[in-house]
This record gives sequence, C-alpha cells and structure tokens, in this order.
Amino acid sequence: MIKLASRTIGAGLIAVLLAGCSSEQSGSVNLTKVLATSLVNVVKSRGSEAPQRVIVTPEMYAKIVIPLLQVNPLESGGSDFLQRKVTRRDSLPGMVEVWNSTDNAQIILRNGVVIGTRGIGRDIIAADANYTVKALQTGASGSGIRTFTVSDGDVTTSKLRYRCEIRNQGAEKITVVKRGFTVNHFEESCSTTITGAPELHNEFWVERGTGIVRKSKQWIGPVVGYFEMVLLKN
Amino acid sequence: MIRHLAQSTLGAAFLISATLMPTYAVSQDVDGFFETANRPSLNFYGVTGLIDMPSAEMLPDGQVAVGISTFGASTRTTLTFQALPRVQASFRYSGIKDANLSGFDTYRDRSFDVKFLVNRESRYFPALTVGLQDFAGTGIYAGEFVAVTKNFSGLRIPGSIKATVGLGWGRLGSSGSIGTPFGSERPSFQSGDTGGELSVDQWFRGDAAPFAGVEWQVNDKWGLKAEYSSDAYKTETNVGVFERKSRFNFGAEYQVSDGVRLGGYYLYGSEFGLNLQIQLNPDRPVSKLRIPAPRPYSVRPSRRADPQAYSDDWVVSDAEASRDVRDAMIPLLEKEGLTLIEVKTTASTTEVRYSNERYGATAVSIGRVARVMARLLPASVETFRIVPVVNNLAQSAIIFRRSDLEALEFSPNAPDALLALTGFSSADPVLNGSARNEALFPKFNWSIGPYLTQRYFDPNEPIRLDAGVALNLSYQPAPGWKIAGQVQHRLTGNVSEIFRQNQSNLAHVRSDAVEYDQGGATSIPQLYGSRQWKAAPDVYARVSAGYLERMFGGVSAEALWKPVASRLALGVEVNYVKQRAFDDVLGFQDYDIATGHVSAYYEFNSGLTGQIDVGQYLAGDVGATFTLEREFANGWRLGGFFTLTDATAEEFGAGSFDKGIKLTIPANWLLGKPDAGVRSTTVRPFSRDGGARLNVPGRLYEQVRSGHRKGLVGNWSGVWE
Repeated sequence: MIKLASRTIGAGLIAVLLAGCSSEQSGSVNLTKVLATSLVNVVKSRGSEAPQRVIVTPEMYAKIVIPLLQVNPLESGGSDFLQRKVTRRDSLPGMVEVWNSTDNAQIILRNGVVIGTRGIGRDIIAADANYTVKALQTGASGSGIRTFTVSDGDVTTSKLRYRCEIRNQGAEKITVVKRGFTVNHFEESCSTTITGAPELHNEFWVERGTGIVRKSKQWIGPVVGYFEMVLLKN
Repeated sequence: MIRHLAQSTLGAAFLISATLMPTYAVSQDVDGFFETANRPSLNFYGVTGLIDMPSAEMLPDGQVAVGISTFGASTRTTLTFQALPRVQASFRYSGIKDANLSGFDTYRDRSFDVKFLVNRESRYFPALTVGLQDFAGTGIYAGEFVAVTKNFSGLRIPGSIKATVGLGWGRLGSSGSIGTPFGSERPSFQSGDTGGELSVDQWFRGDAAPFAGVEWQVNDKWGLKAEYSSDAYKTETNVGVFERKSRFNFGAEYQVSDGVRLGGYYLYGSEFGLNLQIQLNPDRPVSKLRIPAPRPYSVRPSRRADPQAYSDDWVVSDAEASRDVRDAMIPLLEKEGLTLIEVKTTASTTEVRYSNERYGATAVSIGRVARVMARLLPASVETFRIVPVVNNLAQSAIIFRRSDLEALEFSPNAPDALLALTGFSSADPVLNGSARNEALFPKFNWSIGPYLTQRYFDPNEPIRLDAGVALNLSYQPAPGWKIAGQVQHRLTGNVSEIFRQNQSNLAHVRSDAVEYDQGGATSIPQLYGSRQWKAAPDVYARVSAGYLERMFGGVSAEALWKPVASRLALGVEVNYVKQRAFDDVLGFQDYDIATGHVSAYYEFNSGLTGQIDVGQYLAGDVGATFTLEREFANGWRLGGFFTLTDATAEEFGAGSFDKGIKLTIPANWLLGKPDAGVRSTTVRPFSRDGGARLNVPGRLYEQVRSGHRKGLVGNWSGVWE
C-alpha cells in the first residue's frame, strides 16, 4: 500500500516538474506526437520549431522516487519520461521491461535492448536481440543476426533481417544528472540486403560492475528513427 | 455509421481520386522506409505506356492508378489496377467533345482494357506484353497490341532510358499498316451498337502497324517522352474534331510527389495535351494505423514458486464464478472499445464472447481480449476460448493456452510462434450456462447525418449528385433481432433531372431509377425487421421482411454454410418481393417476383476471392453472376463482376449484360486510427434490368468471414499490437 502511494505521488511530482519545464523551454513531447503522417500534422508542423529536450536538474532528480527512463527522440526533438510498468523473465537471456510513456505508448526492453514498441505507429511487434544482449552481458565484441517484425501500419508486418556487429570500445565516463558512471561503450552496426531498409547504428553505455545499460541510442522503428534513452532511476 | 453511409453514398473511384489524393501526395514523402519508388508512367489511356501508345511494362503488384488526360476534343479518365503481377485491368470513361456520333453533343463511352505480361524483363530480354484495348464490343478505342520494352541505365547520359517497340491492330493499326498477318476482316466501329460482348472475332484482325517510342527519365523529377504513333484517329478526323498532321508525339513529365505525375505534350503536330497520373498502392496505407498500447500485465508466478495461487477454490459454482468474471470484465473490455456479451468459466477454462466495433482487424480485438483475460483471471484458468460475435453470429472460437501467451509475448518471432499454437474451431450457436451481459438489450441506436447520392455516366452530365439529410434508426429487442429504417430528405441536387426514355424490353426493375429520384424529396430507402442466428456450429441463418431496398419490399430468407477453417462457403437465398411505388413513400406497384440464388464463395491462396451466384433475377431472367476480387490483408478489395442471364443482349440494351467493378477501402487505411468501418462502392457502366439482384441488407457471408481462420491469419500480428 505504501509502495502504491509513493508511486502515485512520484508520478504526480513528475507531471508537475515537466509542466514547470515546459513553460520555460519548449518542454516535453509525447511519443505519438512526434509523428506527422497526416496532412493536418504536416501542415501544422510547418514553421514551428522542433521541441527542445528537457534537461533534468539535480533538484528534479532528487524528487524522482520511481524507476524512470528519459527518452529523447533524436530526429524530432523533445523528451518524454517513461515509467516501468512490468518486468518479466522468460526463457531467453535478459530481463524484459515494459516502459510506458505519458501518452500510453510503450517501449519494451530486454536487458536495455529494444525488442518492441507499442502505440507509436509502425511499431516493432517483435525482435530478436539475443546476440546483442549476450554481448552487453559478457562485455565481449561479436557479430550475429538481429530480426525485427515491423508493422506496416495496416495490421500487417514486414520482417527485417540484419547482420550486425557489436564492438566494445572500452571504458568511458559518462554523467547522468551530475552523477558520474564508469561504463563500457558498445557500438553496434547492422546492415541488410533488403532494398530501401536503412543501416542501423546503435550505441550502448553499460555500467561496469552492475551491467545496467545506463544510456543508449537505438533504432525505434521506421517512423521515429533513433531515440536516446537514459535510465534516470532503476 | 461510416459503413452505412458509405453504402448509400458510394464514394466511387472517381470521388476517391479527388478526396484521397491530396493527403496521399503529402503523406507519401514522409515515410519512405522500405518503399522504393516503382511507378512506371502512364499514357493518355491511363495504362502503362508512352504518350498515346502502350508499353510492355506492368505496375507493381496491386497498384491502383488513375489517369486523367485531355487533348484536342478527347478527355479520358481511367482506373487501372494491377490485379496480379502479370495482369493489368482498366476501366475508362471517355468523352469526345462535339463529336455528334450518338445524338449527344459530347460522345461518351465506357471501355475496358486488359494487358498480360508474357515475359518479364531480364538482363538481355525485354518485357513482352499482349494487350487488348476496349475489348468488349466494337468500341471506339478497340485495338490490340504486342509490345516489348527494355530499360537501359548506367549509360553515359544521366538517368535511365526506356525503349518500346510494338505492333498494333484495330485502332492501334490504323496508320502506317504493314499488312494483315492474321486475316483482314474486321468490323468497323459502329456508334449505337449495344457493345459489351467480347469481340473475339475481331481481335488481331485487319491491318497491323508498328509503333515505337522512348522515355528518358532524366532525374527523379523530370522525364521526356517521344513516340511514333500508329493511330490514324479516323473517327475523330471524320467528324471534324481533330486534325492529324504528324505521326510523332513529344512530351515532358514532372513527378510532383511519389504518387502524382503531371505531363505536358505536343501531339500529332496539331494539339497540346495534359496528362495527370495518380498512383497508389493498397499495401501502403495513406495514414499509418496507430493503435494505443495495450495495458501491460504481470504473468502468473510459477506453479512451483506459488502452488497456492493455482488453487481452484475461487470456483464455488461455475454459474457464480461466471457472473463474477463477467462483472469484472465488462469495464476492462469497454476500455478497449469492446463489448462483453457473455462469459462462461470453470476453474480451468474460460470462454468469452464479445463484439468489436473499434478495430478493423478482428485479430487486434482477440489480442486485447486475451490480455484482459490474462490480467484478470485467477491462475488456475489455463485455457482461453475467445469468440468474436457479430450481431448474434458467433464467428469462431480462438483457443489459446495461457502459458503460450505468457511465454511468447516478447519472443523474437511472437506472431508466427503464437499462430502455430492457436486453435481455431467453430463456436456453438448458444453458450449454455453462461453469464450474459444484461445491459445490452433492448438496444436503440439512431444517427442523423448528411448523405450524398451519385449517378454516373449520364450522357449530358457524367456525374450527378444529390445531397440531403438521412436519419438512421435501429432497434434491437433481443440478440439477433433487429428493426431498422432510414429516412432521407433531399435538400439539393440534380439527379432527378436525368431525362431518359425508358425503352427497356424487360420488366422495369432497375431502369426506373429516375422515377424514384423524381418521386419526392422525402423517401424511406429501408424499413425492415430481421432476425439472424446460428442454426448449427457451421450454419448461419437470416430472415428479413419489410421495405428491403428503395425499389423493392417483401420477405427474404438466407442460409449459409461456412466452416471456420474452410475456404469454401455455400449459401442459399430466397426472396419474394413486390416493386415499390415511385412517389408514395410506403406503397407498392403491381409487379411482384420470386427471386433467389444459390451461391458458392471461395477464398483462393493468392488473396483472390471468387463468388458464383446462380438463380432467378428481379426481372425474371435466369442466370449466374461471377465475381472475382483481389483482397489485401489490410481490408482493401478491388474486383469486378458480370452477370449472364437468358435475357438477350437486345433485351438488355446498351452494354449487353450487367457488369461492373467493386471497390472497398477500410476506414482506418485513410484515417490512421482504429476504425472498423469500410467504404465500399460498386460502379456499373450500364445499370439496367437484366441480371439485377435484390439488395437485401445484412447478407451473411461478409458478416461471418472476418472472424474465420483465413480472415484472421492475414492480420495475425495484430494479436500482439
């Protein structure tokens, strides 16, 4: 019960914090709002500047009491803060976490690697990230196959098969809200023979010792492109 | 509402091109992922080609193109569909201004084309295509051709070059003939002929003449075309609306957006022309559908870790447990836009029957129900039976093991893996011992809104419109029972101004449409009572009585056999109807008829669906209707039909027999948000009395099919969406 209460209060605080931010800067952006597929949106978005990303201050950070993932869409700008709704273990390596956005879209991570999205549009319905998860867990460079089942936007899907390579670029220091972390920096690049499909370049910053993916830059699907994701609180 | 509105307004192909294209043109460029441009350009006949001459190219499979061209006195509007990778079909409506051929100022004609790809272009060999232009009847555009086309790129000049050489017959062999390789007899074009019949005896007969041309696609935007035409434009020259000074045509085309191309031309040494080419692919939705994320749920603890959780103590009696589950589930399903109809549970199995008004793809609704069940039900329930219901017809039972759902949700190949473990079986007509949602009946629905009626192909005014207000009412006293009606009031329009002397030799079952339009501003298109139910696990039934459609009222009964996993369905329908009065809102005329059909429906592998209906039609003629449609997984359908009966071509009149094209577009393809509605339209070049079927509301086949195996598998990934 106490847990539940603190959770609600936490969520409330975040909402207040974000509202405060948006009056000064352009503020937070909803995940689904980054789309501009309809004519109306295309017309509306003309002339308006891309929303700014939210910079989390230590004061704001101090008030965060629940697991929180900051998501910064790289192409459209802005930020959203996702809450962890469910964690699950299945027969594959890595813990699955479902993160909910403020507008009820979802990013599904397996050990920090994107294996699905929901409610964004042209979602990743399913993905195989086994080899990436293993590389992040063991710290070793390697290569393997990644597959994505991507929605075509009409309840049919296309399958993407990528040949990928991941390299551990060694130790780095990163700062998240003025807190320093020593991490291993991984770079992953993937190519495919499917015409028209883009090459993928993902990056992961994995905490030494705990193995937590503290920060990453990953492909989220054909509509939204890449997101930077920072784990503010686990 | 949309479904209803669409059926009455019939937003036809031409209207679609007008309403949908602006959005399409913009949205295309936003999301170019995976979608490499592949859009061979069109000619003045709206088919893949040069300027006035065809080429051997095909469009990408499934592509739909609309071409609107004008030069001199000629205007042609063409709808082209790449029905199969090697088959392209077109329907054209054309006008020649001031050509006094049939008593009207502007000569207007309808024509059908078909092109077959014989050889696909390869490294050394060109594409080879055989085509029939205006192939039904001795039409004004009748002609046949064989053409080869080869692409060249990587040359010293920028862009790519496409070269076409062909040999034409009929109209396409009328200038520069090299002889008559397959015989010389060919009847010439007769205006006023009923047309419509396959003119096999004239194909590839008479003079043959070569044509050729090149297309240089300079860059992504600009293309140049030049051709040598084998068309003498005899008819147009004879009536003095066109002067042909040269055999050469030249043009430049600009790709405005991925879907829109505009060209300007200089033709036959005397005229300037314009050609607007619009292309879209049903597989590429105008707005990408975005479905709100499902609420995540936690899986059950393992049985070893928490055996107590798996206890079945919660079921004191099945009836009580069913009621508890029902009460808890109603609001959860409501949040997903679904309506719970009934629940029956034991400690290990739960069956949920529900109706879906939100999602176009039934698979999405099944996934939503499954998640609600996984979140709500005690751990001891291991088998989920999910039954989508449409108006009292339980479509099928989709059977999941809960463990599979939990294990596979985030697996790499989740859709296929789940499909392999899912059971599809027929649902019992009645679920005995269930807890029903008591709040559903009686149900009263009403809606009021604008309506639009269109009439095409009037010689004086090709598109006529009526607009007004329509009030829809429906009352459902109990499951499967329905009393429904529609009242329309016309506010404005010119449909009733059509002047047509009715010379039909058959009973005037459809040709009096004008009389109905002129009958009065207020009308009741429908007012009927109906009941539908499942007679057996695979048999569906319906009876209806009342004013079934605008022109007929009476009684109707239908039965349909359609097993859940069967591609074949069989149906029988019998009706006894009387013709309704023109002006009196509720009266009848003297004409009555017993009409009915035996129907077979088949779902082919390639996305084609076929239907054959054999029986007696409204005018008392006996025969069969053949329908073939291409159906896309997202719900798009495009196809055609024709009806052959014992009514002769003379009795039928212009067109010789009933035929037409059918188009269905799901609303969410246009809107990008969940919507179960569809927009569908039927266009008939000639609507006459022969081969006319009664339009009974609520035929069974389409109601049943969306929840059957074939209807679900194409959208199976939706279970996880």
